[in-house]
Amino acid sequence: MPTALSSTDTSPTYRRAGHLAVARRAVTDAWILFQFRRQAVRRRHLARALVLVFLVVTLGAAIGPSFADGAHATGGKSFDVLLLIPTAMAGILLLNMASAVASGGGRELISRDQAAPFPISPTTDHLGALLLAPLNIAWMIQAWVLLGSVAYATPPHLLAQAQVATLLWLVFATTAAQVVAWSMESIRRGPFGIAITRSLLLCLGAAAALVQVTGRTTDVLDQVPTVWFFQHALAGWSWRWVEVVAVLVAVSVAAVVAGAVPTHVAAKRMPRDEARMETDQHAPRSLPSTVLGILVRTDRASVWRSVPMRRGVLVLAIGPGLVALFGDLQWGQMMILPGLVASGGALLFGVNAWCLDGRGALWRENLPAPATALFDARTLVLAEFLGVASLITVLVGALRAGIPDPEELAALVATLVVVTLQVVGAALRWSLKHPYPVDLRSARATPAPPAAMVGYSARLATCTTFTGMIFMGCANVPDWRLSLIVAMPCVLWSGTRLARTRHRWEDPVTRARVVSTVAA
Amino acid sequence: MNQAPVVDVRSLHVRFGEVEAVAGIDLEAYAGQATALLGRNGAGKSTTMRVLAGVVPPTAGTVTVAGLDIRKDTLAVKQLSGYCPDVGGLVPRATPWEHLQLSAKLRRLSGWEDRARDLLERFELGDVMNRVTGGFSHGMGRRLSVVLAAMHDPQVLLLDEPFDGVDPIGVEATFEVIADARARGATILLSTHLRDLAVQACGTALVLRGGSRVASLDAEEMAGEEGARAYRALLD
Repeated sequence: MPTALSSTDTSPTYRRAGHLAVARRAVTDAWILFQFRRQAVRRRHLARALVLVFLVVTLGAAIGPSFADGAHATGGKSFDVLLLIPTAMAGILLLNMASAVASGGGRELISRDQAAPFPISPTTDHLGALLLAPLNIAWMIQAWVLLGSVAYATPPHLLAQAQVATLLWLVFATTAAQVVAWSMESIRRGPFGIAITRSLLLCLGAAAALVQVTGRTTDVLDQVPTVWFFQHALAGWSWRWVEVVAVLVAVSVAAVVAGAVPTHVAAKRMPRDEARMETDQHAPRSLPSTVLGILVRTDRASVWRSVPMRRGVLVLAIGPGLVALFGDLQWGQMMILPGLVASGGALLFGVNAWCLDGRGALWRENLPAPATALFDARTLVLAEFLGVASLITVLVGALRAGIPDPEELAALVATLVVVTLQVVGAALRWSLKHPYPVDLRSARATPAPPAAMVGYSARLATCTTFTGMIFMGCANVPDWRLSLIVAMPCVLWSGTRLARTRHRWEDPVTRARVVSTVAA
Repeated sequence: MNQAPVVDVRSLHVRFGEVEAVAGIDLEAYAGQATALLGRNGAGKSTTMRVLAGVVPPTAGTVTVAGLDIRKDTLAVKQLSGYCPDVGGLVPRATPWEHLQLSAKLRRLSGWEDRARDLLERFELGDVMNRVTGGFSHGMGRRLSVVLAAMHDPQVLLLDEPFDGVDPIGVEATFEVIADARARGATILLSTHLRDLAVQACGTALVLRGGSRVASLDAEEMAGEEGARAYRALLD
């Protein structure tokens, strides 16, 4: 049996595949990985139902508002909506960019560690992130709102053409955001990357503030290029419509291709934030005086030393606050913000809260601490994380809102307490019911698989938005006590459910299942 | 043996849904003795260790540690045991010193710092005691897990795959920990795939297969070529 090359043998040569072959392989690989993830979905009937619901809601949003009262009128609310659509299109593009940049290039079809033994190219990773981008309730809500607005404002005979262009705009916004995200990630991983990134963000913030302070917001919004796209989208069956469709298809395809370039650049560089976090030294501190104190301190460190949580909470706390600030949101409407931020915060780790310990969960479970103490510490840290983020958002958003009435203040405090309790309760309940083994090292990591994240985010968003709207109504009633009275049953209900989850956590069989899963 | 076993496991069963990970294991371990648990992957070694550590409750059977029923007195058993899990065993964003502080606080230890520093130095982890463990190599993680299990001088020391990926210095330090524990009368259970190291560290060996115990012998009987053949025969 030959075991080595003889001197007369020629060594095998490996020819590099052409660009087209590499691209084709990357597309196939992305599809294989997507199928792999799809097979891992536990409750398939539920996933199928979710897909169906998504299609029905999307179709409903694209057609339904067209039949509403006052739709496609030449004046009134319909005309106002028509004027705002180009701004909404630009807003969606910006939000997609912010979200993709914060998550370091979007989510992963397969985590970096799991992917390591396989020949998966950065292009596949880029395509995978694109495939997963719409599996996000924030993306879906933006899409539905835009489609709904177009349906409401557009005359029926132009609706089909306009919605085709709108869908293509959503595709373009997603693909372009991915290019920006990977470009930022490649810069961030390069020399002076963190300083450059922060400077860029500061410059953008300063420019936005300048536009706002000088009162030129409307002028700038009138100049956004989305006006051209929307005007052409409303052109009916005409060359202008064909032109916008062709342009959007071309730029979307170009963005998909272009995105591969910064992805490759980023893949060759070390993720600095993560590397810094993993090599950081933390000087010893004195021991807290109570058991709960040290448990809280350990959990707090697990949260604040994690890249996805630090970045995520920063975007969540500051982003909506800035939108509220620039949009001149008044105290009476501020009640919608805490629910939004708390829901987003829970999606950073709360919905799989026990994964914070990673493989250390087994060792922690051997420590002689009452199970309830562990639960209480995790609850406190999650509530603190969500509460602080919500408070920052409200404070930033309220900078121009003046002094609130007692009714508005009471409604806001009640909203903060109720939604935090609702979200913490739901997150810990789900953490117990569906734990996942997740390593939250990477900025791209999520605490649960994409399909589960969609379900969690939809339920949280529905519940907290509804709560926010109730308290928004309470703020308009001239008695501050009403908010507190309404808050009481909500607090009791959520508190009881949280107590029930705490009781379930005390069961050693349940705990063993959770610990063994997250440590796997 | 006249003395009562410190670890006494009778007809232990552990089920995870349809899977029976442990199917009726009997095990006794005595004070001042080190017992090796050997067997193929999936033989039930780690699950047995998790039961003894109070992490996984037994589905059936009785488990007593120092006379305490592990179902009823789980916290007390955790108080007197030290556990090095088979996988990871470290909170990724906490430093070694923070792990030690947590363990010391929950076990109400006082004056533990010198012992902790000494152990960290012996396992060559003194330089990284303030660095988060997420960036540790596999071997460093294993070494720290042994330190965490041994720091409070537990009455029962449970080491699950402590030699996995560990360099010779770490292996020697682990041997020292086991020898020290034996000398002060602790009971040691050591689960490993490395038969030679198990023979060096332990006096008794239990071989598990398919969730049951198939043999209990002196570790010396497992030594050398002859022992390797005997062990191989027990695995099939």
